[in-house]
Amino acid sequence: MLIFRKPIEGVERPQMPADVVIVGGGPAGMACALRLSQLIDQHKAAHPDSQLSKENIYVLEKAREVGQHCLSGALLDPRSMRELLPGFEKEAPLDAEVTNEAVYFLTERSKFKLPITPPPLRDHGNYVISLNRFVKWLGGKVEETGITIFTGFAGSELLFDGDRVTGVRTDDKGVDKEGHQKSNFEPGYDLNAKITILAEGPRGSLTKQLVSRFDLARDANPQTYGIGVKELWEVPSGRIAPGEVVYTMGWPLTPKEYGGAWIYGGKDNVVSLGFVTGLDYPDPRLDPQRVLQDFKQHPMVAKLLEGGKMIRYGAKSMPYGGWWAIPPVAGNGWMILGDSAGFLNSARLKGIHLAIKSGMLAAETAFDALKKDDSSAAMLGEYQKKVESSWIKDELWKVRNMHQGFEQGLYAGMFHTGLQMITGGRGLRNRYPAKAGHEHMHKLAELPADGGNEAHLLGPAKGDGKLTFDKLTDLYHSGTKHEEDQPAHLVIHDTNICNTRCVKEFGSPCQNFCPANVYEMVDDAGQPNGKRISLNPSNCVHCKTCDIADPYQIITWVPPEGGGGPNYDGM
Amino acid sequence: MKQVPQKDAPLKLNESAAWIREDVSYEVNEPDAYALEEALRQKEKHTGEVVVITSGPARSQQVLREALAKGADRAIHLEDNAFVGLDAFNTAKAFAAAIKDEKFDLIFTGLQSDDYGYAQTGVILAELLGWPHATIIMQIEKNDTGIRVKRELEAGFFQFVDMPLPAVLTIQSGINKLRYATLIGIKQAKNKPLRKVTLAEVQPAIGENLQKIERLYVPQKTKKTEHIEGSPSEIAKKLVDKLRNELRVI
Amino acid sequence: MPDTILVIVEQRENKLNRVSWETITAGQAITAATGWTLEAAVVGASASSIAAEVAAKKVAKVYAVESPKLEPYTPDAFAEALKQLLAAKQPKLVLMPHTYQVRDFVPKLATAMGRTVISDCIGFKHENGKLVFTRQMFQGKLAADVSFTSDAPWFATFQNGAFRGDKAEAGASAAPVETVNVEIADGVVRNKPQEVFKEAKQAVDLTQAEIIVSVGRGIKEQKNIEIAKQLADALGGDLAASRPICDSGWLPMDRQIGSSGQTVAPKLYLALGISGAIQHIVGMKGSRTIIAVNKDSEAPIFEIADYAIVGNLFDIVPPLIEEVKKAKAGS
Repeated sequence: MLIFRKPIEGVERPQMPADVVIVGGGPAGMACALRLSQLIDQHKAAHPDSQLSKENIYVLEKAREVGQHCLSGALLDPRSMRELLPGFEKEAPLDAEVTNEAVYFLTERSKFKLPITPPPLRDHGNYVISLNRFVKWLGGKVEETGITIFTGFAGSELLFDGDRVTGVRTDDKGVDKEGHQKSNFEPGYDLNAKITILAEGPRGSLTKQLVSRFDLARDANPQTYGIGVKELWEVPSGRIAPGEVVYTMGWPLTPKEYGGAWIYGGKDNVVSLGFVTGLDYPDPRLDPQRVLQDFKQHPMVAKLLEGGKMIRYGAKSMPYGGWWAIPPVAGNGWMILGDSAGFLNSARLKGIHLAIKSGMLAAETAFDALKKDDSSAAMLGEYQKKVESSWIKDELWKVRNMHQGFEQGLYAGMFHTGLQMITGGRGLRNRYPAKAGHEHMHKLAELPADGGNEAHLLGPAKGDGKLTFDKLTDLYHSGTKHEEDQPAHLVIHDTNICNTRCVKEFGSPCQNFCPANVYEMVDDAGQPNGKRISLNPSNCVHCKTCDIADPYQIITWVPPEGGGGPNYDGM
Repeated sequence: MKQVPQKDAPLKLNESAAWIREDVSYEVNEPDAYALEEALRQKEKHTGEVVVITSGPARSQQVLREALAKGADRAIHLEDNAFVGLDAFNTAKAFAAAIKDEKFDLIFTGLQSDDYGYAQTGVILAELLGWPHATIIMQIEKNDTGIRVKRELEAGFFQFVDMPLPAVLTIQSGINKLRYATLIGIKQAKNKPLRKVTLAEVQPAIGENLQKIERLYVPQKTKKTEHIEGSPSEIAKKLVDKLRNELRVI
Repeated sequence: MPDTILVIVEQRENKLNRVSWETITAGQAITAATGWTLEAAVVGASASSIAAEVAAKKVAKVYAVESPKLEPYTPDAFAEALKQLLAAKQPKLVLMPHTYQVRDFVPKLATAMGRTVISDCIGFKHENGKLVFTRQMFQGKLAADVSFTSDAPWFATFQNGAFRGDKAEAGASAAPVETVNVEIADGVVRNKPQEVFKEAKQAVDLTQAEIIVSVGRGIKEQKNIEIAKQLADALGGDLAASRPICDSGWLPMDRQIGSSGQTVAPKLYLALGISGAIQHIVGMKGSRTIIAVNKDSEAPIFEIADYAIVGNLFDIVPPLIEEVKKAKAGS
């Protein structure tokens, strides 16, 4: 019997007042906290009698340690960091400045280098970083300024009062697998906040609650996502220089799928490589972790990694939808930042700098709101206006139809992208529509039984243990750990659909798209199709792919007990 | 309490191969978390004050902060990178020097550390202080003459021991459910007293290390797999033969 | 005069704790490498009878250290008694098995003498005239060679199973036994231990098991676990499982071996239908001997197995149970 996590009913919850609660300690949340702290410090220097204080400003981070759940390639465009902390390059942990980029189109055995690097992928002036280390450093700066970061605490649900968000409820701790209180049970706190800022990363769970409650997405394109599966490798000296950047397209994907790989040279002979697969592929049997293993077998990549050692694995989703998929980002008592809002440039494949900028803009609005003691929709709506008149909009406007152009496949996408590049992002029309990714998934009956051209992408990777790995071996290197005795945090709203319909119609794609082996169909003679959905929730790496890609949209990912999750040291 | 590298952290040797590279994630030594939990429970039962102490670089302060967030009242941090290199004997001497003006009734430690696994510091400290001690303790009850503790022995045996106070106890892991720090606890921890003790202050008490790690290395695995083949009954016979004569488990 | 190695032998319930034979073996090995002399000491009540047992081994001398205050065991009494013995006999190296009792007193003893203990060693090396002791660090991820930088006596304790107790060499003739009376003043012993007792074990502690029969997915159905249990019973071992089995509720969680369960290092680990996912392997790779049965010849478990049986466990286990029973019946 699967028991799913939900807030315990009938318990008295400790109440804690707050001025600002920022849910999520990633680049957006930390930049927001830091900027807010700067503004308050500046203000108090000029007005010593001011009541403004950082005492009641909190960052909630579900990981045990700051940065532990942060994963990205990553390449940092320093534009917003330079605004936030001029001269940050001197103290931030940057791996290397980008020295050169190359874009390849791959076939199974060969590669074609694009003679000119497409402008969005030109990275000169950007830095190869480990987002985990960067956020750790940034978090250190936030703590130094006196803002409290609560690590190991997740925002489990939003608190509402009519059309107002009044705060966040944190996770219940010490609940057993059956949903009962253990002897060390601690109920989640109700943080009653004047301003609630959501910076949860892609497909945030509270953001999802908010959007659904107020139907915020009604005028926007559905958000679409990709899943990035990453491995960190230590390779023999000299294989790749720090700051070397490679992007690939093509193999192993076919024109039917959207995605590509990255390879970044870091320092100390560490290579970051990964494959992003758009979560709008047609064949439900596709396994993104397998796609990465296939990619590594390409001669160019195999040569790079030979004799090396894989040291870390992880996966995370990313929002591709672009400008048209961003819902309203401010309302009565709330603001949304970074990937949670969808601030990601899918042409440049970068979002960290946008996340940081959005954090800064929200901080400015929050500061004004605190001064005026007004966090109404009108007041916080200033943030929306700031975003629309900032370089965030400038940048995203130019690529507003980028991903949608690929909905008909690779070649159509290239055509549309080319057109968009010369029309300032317009392409054929100002706003291209989009379909949610899971709606692209075909039923098995409509696909060739053997997978056709996609056969090499389907099903689990076997792994040779040296260059390629099966999912469980890879997963072990994610360092993911959770308190075992707790309810399942992957909430499946109707497991009958899994056992009766999905098994037949789609072949249970959860087993394939989850990069962490959380979902399994096990033999069960009592079920109509002989199989039953079973979960290994403690394997979860918090990527949110299941919430995004499940064709029936019956999975809601909620945060497990705080402190659990992957350990993305160095990622 | 001790801060140790996280259990699943990938460890790398430093240049001299006498220690590990410090750029890993750290956590509280798990047995110490149980020692703290036991101390907090004793305080809840009998009132009193719980003081936590650690020695190590600046990063190890995290362990004290977490302890204060869970309910400890005061913290003492012997802060210096050099403390990492002290052997158990000197570590205990440093602690003894740092607490010489305190009047503790009980000192708890975890039964051993997850990194060294020596299981000595608590016992050495008891001898230095001249206090009675007991190890691998599961339960503590107060009585008229001091305390009655339950000691775990091997093979499922236990023993109660009556002891006078003050005493040092090393606490068995897993004896209680660890409590969670609460948001209020974390906030309040920021204002609880944290006394820093420098290396210079305890230097007179410590001396040269009495033992030395000559080298640290990845253990070599020499595994030869022997295949046992044949029909099931042949396999069974061959296997039992090995179990009996080579492995001596029958 | 060559240096002396002194092995302190441990008693349990007035009988020799057989783990002490392992320490004798260790002592003999170090003697062979260094040319030092090996002696042993028995501490406590019935010291003389146990000393006689020890004297049958190849040791130069055995001391029977007696005092009424040594019974029952307390760290105060043992530390005091041994301090006197060591002051009198002045060994270079003192060896003990790393038992709960030794852990309880040897750091105190060493500290009282201003010396140090290298504990829980798994071996030693004698290189260029220098003796170093090998021990595991970071829960087995790394190994360390540790040397003494202090004066004698040096103290070292050895991990269970680091040496083979049955390899302790017998002496050509019985070694001389010397009774040593120690004076333990009143007031030295501060602890008052009560009777040792056994408790009905609530949870299974697989870390104490010497033989473990473990099942994985290959067992297919809950009712099939029965044959694994029969094998475990026949061998006198304990039943355990990999995670999926416990997650399905086919066996309780306290039988789980692996990174989220117990970590074990028994003498014999029999893995039935276990593929060898890393999370399981880290929980049992320290086992002395690993036998794996799996129908997939490429199952990762075979990489760490000492004996590999590629086949169907349902065909192999029943005849195995029979053969084990026959062997145990003494045929």
